[in-house]
Amino acid sequence: MTEQQALWLELMPFYIREAWLLDERRFKEWVDLFTDDVLYFMPRRKNVPRREAHRELTELGDLAIFEEDKRYLEMRVARLDTGMAWAEDPPSRTRHMIGNLEAAFLENGEVEARTAFLVYRSHLETDHQLLSGCREDTLRKVDGGWKVAKRTIVLDANVLLDKNLSVFL
Amino acid sequence: MDTALKYAVIDPATGKIDRRIFSDQAIYDDEMEKIFGRAWLMIGHESLVPSPDDYFHTYMGEDPVILTRDGQGRLHALLNMCRHRGNRVVRCDDGNAKRFMCSYHGWTYRNDGTLEHVPGKTEAYYDELDMASLGLIEARVETYAGIIFATWAKDAPSLEAYLGDARWYLDTVFNRLDGGMQAMGPLKWLEPANWKTMVDNCSDNYHVPTSHISSAAVQSRFLGRPRLSHEDQFASPNKHVFVNGHALTFRDADDNAPRYVHGVSDKIMQMFKEYHEATMPEVERRLGTLRARRVQLGNHSIFPNGILGFRLALPRGPLRTEFWHFVLLDRDAPEELKRAIRIGSQANNGAAGMFEQDDVDNWRQVTDASTSRMARGLPQDLSMGVGHAGLHADYPGVVSERYISENNQRLFYMRWEQFMNAGSWGDIPLEPMKARFEGSATMRG
Repeated sequence: MTEQQALWLELMPFYIREAWLLDERRFKEWVDLFTDDVLYFMPRRKNVPRREAHRELTELGDLAIFEEDKRYLEMRVARLDTGMAWAEDPPSRTRHMIGNLEAAFLENGEVEARTAFLVYRSHLETDHQLLSGCREDTLRKVDGGWKVAKRTIVLDANVLLDKNLSVFL
Repeated sequence: MDTALKYAVIDPATGKIDRRIFSDQAIYDDEMEKIFGRAWLMIGHESLVPSPDDYFHTYMGEDPVILTRDGQGRLHALLNMCRHRGNRVVRCDDGNAKRFMCSYHGWTYRNDGTLEHVPGKTEAYYDELDMASLGLIEARVETYAGIIFATWAKDAPSLEAYLGDARWYLDTVFNRLDGGMQAMGPLKWLEPANWKTMVDNCSDNYHVPTSHISSAAVQSRFLGRPRLSHEDQFASPNKHVFVNGHALTFRDADDNAPRYVHGVSDKIMQMFKEYHEATMPEVERRLGTLRARRVQLGNHSIFPNGILGFRLALPRGPLRTEFWHFVLLDRDAPEELKRAIRIGSQANNGAAGMFEQDDVDNWRQVTDASTSRMARGLPQDLSMGVGHAGLHADYPGVVSERYISENNQRLFYMRWEQFMNAGSWGDIPLEPMKARFEGSATMRG
């Protein structure tokens, strides 16, 4: 087995476990998968000419959908426990499907991993949405386990067709 | 109420509103004509098209519009519709281009709207096509402190008259500093709600301690933000004011407290306070002492569909609205502060915003209640504070006695009636401007 294959086999269960934590609403355990200095980032995605593809994603520093540190993520999780976070109370029913993993070691020992996702959300009576996109993660070993030190989430959407984006990706 | 008028949807004495205006397709179609076909509509910001030949794709109601800055630096709002068959000539969100070519047959327009090139002009059209009359349809454009407005109505008053004395309050955020503001965005998403509910919510401060309690509570715990309860709101020195359809909230206190910035920590708030103090001489020079030190714009809407500053509720049918979230920042503020304010804004507002995500199901169900048999026959009740607003000795516009009031919402729907019942702009009343605009700030910035 190559180093690359071993890494793949090590990371795939990490992402599967993360998906189960999200879908089982174990958000405090989920937020523990991130390093204390994490950047959780979701840029906007624009319609630009093919030859200007470098402008398709907004840069860090522009208005983003998410650009959050650990404290903001913890705040979002804590919010759900108040019983009055109305977008998620009653809670959404989600299913995170994670695949297409590619991963490689960086020189500093961290890992660059990207995955594709399809996330189904059902809410209240008949609301439902399918969120498609990819994650580009930087993973770091902390106390023997992998943690996400940076996550960039790219949605396959321009105008979001959803009433809100209240689930984690 | 005058029964001869087509629309009599609100009883000002009781605040009861006919729910059909939130769901009826024929009324919605009439709104597109009578309101979105007439009013000055916010369409962009100068900072979105900073250089010659920049463009930004936007909307006036449901009509797609290209906001351009031509080679001479002049702004244009052009209907994104080829005059031949109606295809869009721009499909991108923004960019830089001197010309726009229709992808159907190749008709090509300059960025000032002029039709410049038609394939087969001689060979197929026998040089008989009246190209001069077939430019892109252009709307009137005017700006206020960098915010770009446009209207299709040739008989519309000036933007200055349209904003009227609302500008006296708007200046305290948008016209505060010599360097002006810069816009970032938009983040776009579709909400299953009628556009008017989202607009009237801008003056609905009553909902905040209930709808947003979870976010306020955790932000008090994690960021040190002030508590948010009904009691805190009832005690706050805020008022509502209404001018020409524009529904504003302002803080009226002589403690020179800086405007509250949502979603930032107490540490950042301290930095903002220092910035507030440092810029105060400039603000006093631009706005005069009263406005600089005492008056602070809060939540507000600009008629018909401008929401909390430069954000847009774009109608997409009676039951759907495309929301465009921008953040506006003082262009010359310290970068660290701008970053914190932007992150705070986007953490609270936008599709994923902690505050904003909790609004949507409320608005949606308010809209849905206008569609089912029993519910649609029951009016909304906007009776709070009836009879407790009027003219004020110090402040222009119709001012509510108390902060928590539905006065602005009642007046918004009465303004809606004025537009909907008017045959032309001549039938739409405008408040005469009475405010004293002290300081050097003007419409231009």
